[in-house]
Amino acid sequence: MEYRQTNVIGGKGSAPGEFAASLRCLAVDARGQLLAAGDSEIKMFDASGRIKRRWSTSRPVLSVAVAADGAVYAGELRQIEIFDGSGKLVNTWRDETLLQRVTAIGFVHDGVLAGDSAGRAIRHFDRNGRFRNNIGKDNPVNGFLVPNGVVDFAVDAHGVIHAANPGKHRVERYLPTGELLGHIGRFHGTDPAGFGGCCNPTNVAVRDRIYVTEKAGPRAKVYDFSGNLEAVIESADFDPNCKNMSVAVDARGVVYVADTVKLAILVFEPSNLGGTGPVGPVSLVGQAGLVQVGQVSLVHVGLVGQAVSPVKPAEGLPR
Amino acid sequence: MSEPITRRDLLHQVARGSVLATLGGGAIFLVQKAHGQVVWQVDASRCINSRLGDTGGEACKLCTTECVVALSAVRAVNEYSRCGRCNICPAYFNITSAVDERGLPSEKLCPRDAITRKPIGKADPEDPANNFYEYVIDEEKCDGCGKCVMKCKEPLGLGSIVLRVRYDKCVGCNRCAISRACPKEALIQIPVEQALKPPEVRQAAE
Repeated sequence: MEYRQTNVIGGKGSAPGEFAASLRCLAVDARGQLLAAGDSEIKMFDASGRIKRRWSTSRPVLSVAVAADGAVYAGELRQIEIFDGSGKLVNTWRDETLLQRVTAIGFVHDGVLAGDSAGRAIRHFDRNGRFRNNIGKDNPVNGFLVPNGVVDFAVDAHGVIHAANPGKHRVERYLPTGELLGHIGRFHGTDPAGFGGCCNPTNVAVRDRIYVTEKAGPRAKVYDFSGNLEAVIESADFDPNCKNMSVAVDARGVVYVADTVKLAILVFEPSNLGGTGPVGPVSLVGQAGLVQVGQVSLVHVGLVGQAVSPVKPAEGLPR
Repeated sequence: MSEPITRRDLLHQVARGSVLATLGGGAIFLVQKAHGQVVWQVDASRCINSRLGDTGGEACKLCTTECVVALSAVRAVNEYSRCGRCNICPAYFNITSAVDERGLPSEKLCPRDAITRKPIGKADPEDPANNFYEYVIDEEKCDGCGKCVMKCKEPLGLGSIVLRVRYDKCVGCNRCAISRACPKEALIQIPVEQALKPPEVRQAAE
């Protein structure tokens, strides 16, 4: 399987679709809209990379996820804020102990999961915010090994949790009850099928496959559920100092990766999706919400392969 | 009502102030120097081996080759408060060497074998990844080559290993030979009080 880079969304700046100081987490909702958590804001982009909506969070946001009912959960320091689809705050869960630093959020059929990097664990709550159990804590090192400072995980269609354990160079599979089912991954410094460095992979997404990102050097990789490497996604546009690059995948298999230094979202399409997007070096041109890829930008949905004019800065967006 | 200040007066005042400040600063420096109150130290934010941004290059070895002391007075120090205690430490292992039967890199990084490690708590014989490890730098072996510093730097590591001038080794040259050679002016003079201050710097000897 091959991927090609087709778009770059966001970038560093103060325009509505740009990020001032941080880009922490990505998520894709059921309608294929991309949500990005950065600074103290949630930004929602359509599939073409045009910003549709943004709203503020009360604290710097570290993670974002969209529930099946469209509610948007924002992970922060010592709390989770819950918004409706329009960005209106509907609830806040606060916990000084269990939600010290919420770097990932996910959902199982009747529960909410929060990755707490300070506690090096995934916290399992019911839908009303009542704590049920820890995940990833019952081991000789009392939690995930995350010297990179992020606990990240994703939930597959069967409700199995796939959690990055970078210090062990693995992606581990857990049941919501906390039972460890197994893992994929091993350390290797040169074989791309392995995970290199002190601590990789740092971030994970799951759809039809397992998608991970690594730091030093920054890249994304695609594995099947047995742990066989299927693709390596690299780009000269990734800043070499990137780490904790959030990854999200939509229903078509389009992969979104956050460059945490350039504060941009790189978009990669699988080759079997079609399209004529350019491959290779990409210049980061400051545009609100969309950065041009070379001289051509592509719209992914409905206009695959058709070149369109660069998107102009959005105006009058609701905050 | 006072006379308005002319541009010439203003320039005179600025110039006079600059001269006085320079003389004053120089005087303070000389007094401190006379009392042995300034010392050379490595500024980690300038040092090529530790400053953020330079990745993938070879380590700068000027601290090893330029120091007038036989085995350089600059040594690598692990600041434990920042160390991740990783199973696979890129400063300890040559992480691109072949992987052995335990799943670990087969070669160490330090050419002088100056870094040792031991598991914290009870080691898991089935799975070495199930442990934290303490990494200790033997400063009697270290020559400050900076290889481990370069590999420990973010984003590959956590930047816990830095180069430090060891005052019991440094002979306190008036003009440090390393500072003359350092392309980044990373060797700086600081007051003794400041040099002794950072509590987070836990020396390996502790």
